[in-house]
Amino acid sequence: MFFLHNLERRVTLHPSYFGRNMHELVTTKLVKDVEGTCAGDYYIIAIMDTFDVSEGRILPGSGLAEFTVGYRAVVWRPFKGEVLMPDEIQYDASATPAQFTNNADIVIEQGTHVRVKIIGLRTEVGEMWAIGSINGDFLGYV
Amino acid sequence: MASSAPFHVAGDSDSEDDGNFNFAAADNSDDENDAQTSHRASGKSDRRASSPAAEDDEDEDEDRPSKSASKRPREDDDDDENGDEEDEEEGGVGNNDDDEDDEEEEEDEDDDDDVQHRHRRKRRKDHRAAFFDIEAEVEDEDEAEDDEKDGEEIEDFIDNAHPDDIAESGHLDDDRRHRELDRRREIESSMDAEKQAEILRARYGKRAPARGYGEMAVVPKRLLLPSVDDPGIWAVRCKEGKERDVVFSIMRRIEERSNTKDEVPIISAFERGGPNSVMKGYIYVEARRQNDIMLALDGVLDVYPRTKMILVELKDMPDLLRVTKTPNLEPGAWVRLRKPAKHAGDLAQVLDVTENGLEARVRFIPRLDYGVRDDALSRTNDGKRKRPGMPGPRPPQRLFSEVEARKRQPRNIQGNPQTGTWSYNGDDFEQGFQVKDIKIQQLDVKDVNPTLEEVTRFASGSEDGTENLDLKALAASLKDSNTNVAYVPGDVIEVYEGEQRGVIGKAVNVQGDIVTLRVMEGDLAGQTIEVPNKGLRKRFKTGDHVKVIGGSRFRDEVGMVVKIVEDRVTLLTDQTNTEVTVFSKDLREASDIGGQGSLGQYSLLDLVQLDPTTVGCIVKVDRESMVVLDQNGDTRQVMPSQIANKLPKRRTAVAADRNGSEIRLDDVVREYGGQQRQGKIIHIHRSFIFLHHNATTENAGVFVTRAGNVNTIAAKGGRATNPNAGPDLSAMNPALKRNPAAGGGNNMQPPKTFGRDRAMGQTVSIRRGGYKALVGIVKDTTDTHARVELHGKNKIVTVPKADLIFKDKVTGKTIDIYSRSGRGGFGGGGGRGGFGGAGDRPGGSRTPMGAGGGERTPAWGAPKSSARTPAWGRGETSGSRTPAWGDGSRTANPYDGSRTAYGDGNRTAYGGATSYGGSRTPAWSSSAKTPAHDGFGHGSKTPAYGSGGSSDPWGSKTPAYGVSAPTPGASGADSWGYTPGASGSSHLYDAPTPGAGLGAPTPAALSAPTPGAYAAPSPAPISAPTPGAWQGGWGADAAPTPAVGAPTPAASGGYYGAPTPAAYGGAPETPAASGEIRYADDD
Repeated sequence: MFFLHNLERRVTLHPSYFGRNMHELVTTKLVKDVEGTCAGDYYIIAIMDTFDVSEGRILPGSGLAEFTVGYRAVVWRPFKGEVLMPDEIQYDASATPAQFTNNADIVIEQGTHVRVKIIGLRTEVGEMWAIGSINGDFLGYV
Repeated sequence: MASSAPFHVAGDSDSEDDGNFNFAAADNSDDENDAQTSHRASGKSDRRASSPAAEDDEDEDEDRPSKSASKRPREDDDDDENGDEEDEEEGGVGNNDDDEDDEEEEEDEDDDDDVQHRHRRKRRKDHRAAFFDIEAEVEDEDEAEDDEKDGEEIEDFIDNAHPDDIAESGHLDDDRRHRELDRRREIESSMDAEKQAEILRARYGKRAPARGYGEMAVVPKRLLLPSVDDPGIWAVRCKEGKERDVVFSIMRRIEERSNTKDEVPIISAFERGGPNSVMKGYIYVEARRQNDIMLALDGVLDVYPRTKMILVELKDMPDLLRVTKTPNLEPGAWVRLRKPAKHAGDLAQVLDVTENGLEARVRFIPRLDYGVRDDALSRTNDGKRKRPGMPGPRPPQRLFSEVEARKRQPRNIQGNPQTGTWSYNGDDFEQGFQVKDIKIQQLDVKDVNPTLEEVTRFASGSEDGTENLDLKALAASLKDSNTNVAYVPGDVIEVYEGEQRGVIGKAVNVQGDIVTLRVMEGDLAGQTIEVPNKGLRKRFKTGDHVKVIGGSRFRDEVGMVVKIVEDRVTLLTDQTNTEVTVFSKDLREASDIGGQGSLGQYSLLDLVQLDPTTVGCIVKVDRESMVVLDQNGDTRQVMPSQIANKLPKRRTAVAADRNGSEIRLDDVVREYGGQQRQGKIIHIHRSFIFLHHNATTENAGVFVTRAGNVNTIAAKGGRATNPNAGPDLSAMNPALKRNPAAGGGNNMQPPKTFGRDRAMGQTVSIRRGGYKALVGIVKDTTDTHARVELHGKNKIVTVPKADLIFKDKVTGKTIDIYSRSGRGGFGGGGGRGGFGGAGDRPGGSRTPMGAGGGERTPAWGAPKSSARTPAWGRGETSGSRTPAWGDGSRTANPYDGSRTAYGDGNRTAYGGATSYGGSRTPAWSSSAKTPAHDGFGHGSKTPAYGSGGSSDPWGSKTPAYGVSAPTPGASGADSWGYTPGASGSSHLYDAPTPGAGLGAPTPAALSAPTPGAYAAPSPAPISAPTPGAWQGGWGADAAPTPAVGAPTPAASGGYYGAPTPAAYGGAPETPAASGEIRYADDD
C-alpha cells in the first residue's frame, strides 16, 4: 500500500560544496541517498518535497556539514494479506515444469502478470521479501 | 469393563459389572441404573409378590442418590416409547384420579422412582403386567401435568385413546388390580417406620456396609476402598506371558461349573501382565479364603497355586486396579528393537500386532553379512562352533539383496522374486526389509524418536521409488515422546488433547512438564492456566518466520510458513527458496534478523580460499559441511577444515568489464555471451567475479564468471551508467580538483622541480602522527613520502612529506626548502662557506643541494653536484663504485652499505673498502692482504682515474660516500673513523674525498677517514698511493692527509680492534644514526 509519509533525515555535505546553492545540493543529495531505498518496513518510492532544511552544523573531525532535512515521501509498504499485482513472478527454476497451467488457456510462466496475496513478509537490511499466494478467490492469472 | 483396560476380570455371578474399584461394594457403585437393573433381573418374582411398600422403601434407599441426575431424561424417553400403550390405559385410568391424587400427596417423593421402575418393567414385558401399566400410566399423567414439555404428547394420546378404551373388558380387571395396589400402598404408608426398616433389613441386611453411602450423590473414592471385611486378593504365580490365558481358562471353568455342586468359590480373577509390567508372572484372585483359590485353580494350566501365594495388602489393592494407559501399537508405528542383539537400537516399523497383543510383526532393515564373516570365523576357529552373539562388528544396515545372498549361500535362500519375499537363513524378507515377529517386551515403544533420516530409508524402499512417507504414523510415534519438545516462554501453544483441548495461549513459564499458558483466545482469554507438556503443540500461522530446531534434517533452516496441516508445517526457506515440511514441534519463531546460515566463521556467500590457486564462494551451509562454488564454476562440498582461510570482502576491489569500464562490488552486470545471466557482484577476485541473483535458486543464486565477460547494467550509485546524476556530494567537489587554482591552492602542492628532491638530507621535524615532534634527516623521498632517519630513535620511518617541517640544521629554524629564500638559505649554511666556494664550482647544478644539505650538502654538493653523475660514471669504470652507490643510496642502511661495499670491494677496487670491512671483522688479515693487491690495483687505479678525470668527480663521489659512508662510519666507531672506513673502501677514491670535500670538518674528516681508509688498507700500497693521490688532488687538504697518514696505523689498530665488532653487534641502523650525527657534528 502506498502512503505519503513525513520523514526526516540527516544529510551531510562535503565542505567543498559550501556556498550559495547549498540547500539545493542538500536536497539533491537527499534524493540521491534516499529514493528507491528500503527503510526497514517500507520502500521510499519518491520524495515529493523537502521542508525545514536546518542550518548546517560542521561535524568535528571531518569538516562535513550536517543538515537535518524534513521531507515528504511516497512510501510503499506491503502488508500481510495485501493483494498485489507484481509484474514478474518468481518461480522455482529447478521444478521440472517451470510454469503452471490449469490445462486450459491459462499458463503462468515467468513474466506473466498474476495477482497474489502476500502471506508472509521478511525484512532484511536493504531489502524486503514477501511470499505470495495465488491460491484464493480472484487471485492468480490476470 | 472397557476394552482398553489392561486387566480382565472373571468372577462368579456375584461379581457384577461395576466400578473399577470395589468389588465388595458392588451394589453400591455409581452406576445405579445398571445395578438396579440387575437386581430386578434376579429378584423379579420376589418383588412382584412382595408388598409395594417394601418395594418403595427399597427404592427410596437405593435410588435417591441418582434420582436428580439421571431420572428425568429417562422418564421422558419412556413416555415416548410407551405412548401407544398408555393410550390404551388412559380411558380406564380416569376413575382413579382422585385416589391417585391422595396417594400422591403421601408418596410424593417416591413418585419418580416408581415411575422409572415400572417403566422398566413395562418395557421388558409389555404384553402383560397390566398392573404396572396402570400405575405407570397414572404416574405419567401426573408427570405430564408437571412437565410442560410433554403436554403435546399427552394431548395426542388422549385424543387417540378415548374412542376404544371403555369397551375393553380387560380394563375392568386392571381397574381392580389398581385399586388393590392403592390399598396396599395405603397400608404400607400407614405402617410404622420401624417396621419398614425391619422389613428392609430382613431383605437387604447383608448389604449393610453399603447402605450408608447410598445417600450421597457423589461417593468419595476413598470411602469405596476395600476394608478388612472384604475378600482378600492373592497373587498367584503363573507362567510369564500366559497371564491372560490363565484368566480366560478360569473364566471358562467358572462357566462350566456354575450351578453344579462344585462351583468355583472365587470372586474374581484378573491379571496385570504386560510387556513392561512389574506384575507380570502373576494373576490376582479375589476370594474369601486362600483355600478357595486352591480349589479354583487346581488343574488350570500354567498357573502354580501351590507355590507361595502372596496376599495383597489392603492398601495395595486399589493400586492393583489402577488403569494405566499403555501405548498400544498400531500398524505403521515406529519402534526400536531391543532383542536381537545385532539389531539393538534399530528402528522398526510395526506391520501387525497379534491378537493377544503379545507379539508384533515388525519390519526393519537387516544387518546381513551374507556369510562373509562365517567363512572367516570357521577358518580361524578350527571348526569350533561359532558362539552365537559373539561380539564383533555388526554389519551395516542394508536392504536385503537376493544377489548377494545367492552368491555365497545359494542353498539357504528361497522365495519369490515376483512378490519380493524371501526366506534366507530362516529369516523372512519382504521388499528388502526383514520381517519378524517380536515380543512386545523386546520392543521399545516409547521415546522412539525416529529421525527423518531413518524413516526415510523405510520410505524410499517402496518399489516404485516414490516416497511414501507415512507422516501420520511418524507423528504418532513422535507424539508419544514429548519429552524432547522444549517449550520456551513466548511460544504460542495449542492444546490438542485433554480437557483444555482447543485452548491457544502463549507460554509464560515452563517448569518440568508443566507449561503455564496465558490464554489468548476464547472464553478463557487472559487467564493463565497450567497444562501438562503432553498434548501440547506449537502453533504457527501462515507467514510466520520460523527456524527449524530439533532433530530434523532441516535443522537450522529458516523460512516462512506457507502451509499448515495439523502439526505438519511447510515452510519456504529463506536461503534456497525450497519448501520443506517439518513437525511443528521442531520449529520455533525466528527473529527477523537471523536467517543467514553460518558455520563457524564461515557464512553463506563468503569468499574462501580453497587452495593457493582456487577460491570459492560458499553457497550452502550445512551443519558440518558447506558447499562452495569455486572460481571455475564447479561446486564442491568441503569441510571447514578444508578451507585455507576466508577472504575478507574488499570493498575497494575493482575490475574492468568488457568495455573497460570499472566495475565494483554491488554493481549489477550481465554476462555478455552464454546464458546472459545477470547478477549483483558480490566478490571480485582477480579476473573472476562472483555474482548473485535472486531469481535462481541454484547455488543459492550465485554464479561465477570472468570480469571481462560482463557488461555493466547498473553501477552502484549510478557511477558509470548515469553520468548526469550530478556531483558526488559526499566527496570533494570535483570542480575544485579540476581547477586547483580556483581552490586557492589549499592543497600546497610544491612547485614542480626537476632533479634531485631538495628534501633529501634535510633535517626535519615531523608534525603529526606517532612520530610527531621527532627530528630526523630525510634519507630518501618519493613524490609524496619521505623516509626520515630519526635522531632520537634508531629508526627510519616513512612519513608523508606534507607532515615534515624542514629545519635549519644549525639554527633549528623552520625553513622552506622549496622557496627561493630557502635557496638563499643555502648561502646561509655558511658554515660551509668554504663550501660555498665548492658550490660555486662546476657542480653548480648541485648547488641546490648545498642549499638543502647545509654543511654537508655543500661538501658534496660542491664537488659532486656535477660530481654525482660523473661519480656514477666513474663508479662504473671502477666497478667498485657503482655498487657502493647503489647500495648506499638504496638501502640507506649503513650496515648493508658497508657490507655490500665489502663484498664488492673484494672484487673491486673496494679492496680499500674491503680492507675496511675486513678490518671490521675477521677478514682483517685477508682483507689486508687482498685489498692490498686488489685494492691497490683498483684503488690506485680508480682514484687515479677519478682524480685524473677531475677532482670534482671525486668530490661528487665523496658525497656518495657521504651517504653510504657514514654508515660504515657508524659501524666504524667514531665519527669519521668510520667514514674513512667507507671511504676507506672508497678511499681509494674518496677516503680522501670526504676529507677534501668537507672544508670545515676537514680536519676531523681528514683525520678520521684517512686513518680509516688507510688503516684498513694500511697496507702500504694503498695508503701510499691514496694519500698521494689525494694529496695531489687536494692540495688544500693536503695537510690532513699526512695527518691521516700518521694516524693511520694507530687508527687502524684502534678502529678495527674496537669499533668493528661494535658495528657488527649493533643494529645496522644504530651505527648509521650515530654516524650521521657525528657526521653532522663534524660538519
